[in-house]
Amino acid sequence: MKIQVNEQALTLPNSMNLEQLLKHLEKPLMGSAVAVNMQVISRSEWTQYNINEGDNISLFQAIAGG
Amino acid sequence: MLSDNELLRYSRHLLLEEVSEAGQNKLKQANVLIIGMGGLGAPAALYLAAAGIGHLVLNDFDDIEVSNLQRQITYQNSDIGESKVEVTKQRLQQLNPDIKVRSINKQMPEQQLSMELTMADLVLDCTDNMATRQMINKACVDAKVPLIVGAAIRLEGQLMFFDHSQPESPCYHCLFPNSEEQTLNCSNSGIIGPVVGTIGTLQALEAIKYFVGLPSGIKNKLKLFDGKTLDWQTFAINKDTQCSVCGQV
Repeated sequence: MKIQVNEQALTLPNSMNLEQLLKHLEKPLMGSAVAVNMQVISRSEWTQYNINEGDNISLFQAIAGG
Repeated sequence: MLSDNELLRYSRHLLLEEVSEAGQNKLKQANVLIIGMGGLGAPAALYLAAAGIGHLVLNDFDDIEVSNLQRQITYQNSDIGESKVEVTKQRLQQLNPDIKVRSINKQMPEQQLSMELTMADLVLDCTDNMATRQMINKACVDAKVPLIVGAAIRLEGQLMFFDHSQPESPCYHCLFPNSEEQTLNCSNSGIIGPVVGTIGTLQALEAIKYFVGLPSGIKNKLKLFDGKTLDWQTFAINKDTQCSVCGQV
């Protein structure tokens, strides 16, 4: 399955949900936010969202500086 | 009802049909609480005072350090060791004697913050740590006070606006529910002054727009600013019905 993660093309070995994607990419679950096609997906919905072919996924971290 | 002096001072606002005298009067009646007088709060406070926000409350508990001066443009070298809120208050009153400025030189406990929110029309979160950001968010949700959040590190900025007067509004905790630890801040990651200044300036812009009745470009949205490319990304945020802060409201 071909998707985009932070504007980089990525081929997934199998279907997976968002939480599995973060683990697959070895990204921290704490402090991370995930958006699919420019819509933020709540942390409580990561395991329910199954990634679709062509999804444009954005991963970013909370920042606190000011 | 603007005085002759105010008509002159705000003449460039009055030329705009988006502001006009009606909008300037709304700014004059507005009460804004700015929490954090660092790189975000400095330009935000200056612009809101200059714009004629009638009542500004400034909160911070830090004294000015030499390492602040690289980006916190309200302060001068001679201010090192002085209280941030006291120096900012003096600076704002010199800039605009027509407005009222009050300072709170302490880390507010939840109870005091809740009390302050009963007098605030809008809050700007200009703080530098996640625990305080989560506390401010919860207090604003509970008090139904709109919140404009800015954050920046390195060459990255984040900007969002949650109108907690609307029950369907998402909140900061919907976006970042479990981020108390290991969050990046200016002390551990570094920051370039104009990046944090850009975000603080836009918090002030959104505040002015809110009071004069212009729709926000960031309501229920997260804007990410990339200081390297100057690109912006915009993400929609929906209310998380499972959110432990706003989901039960």
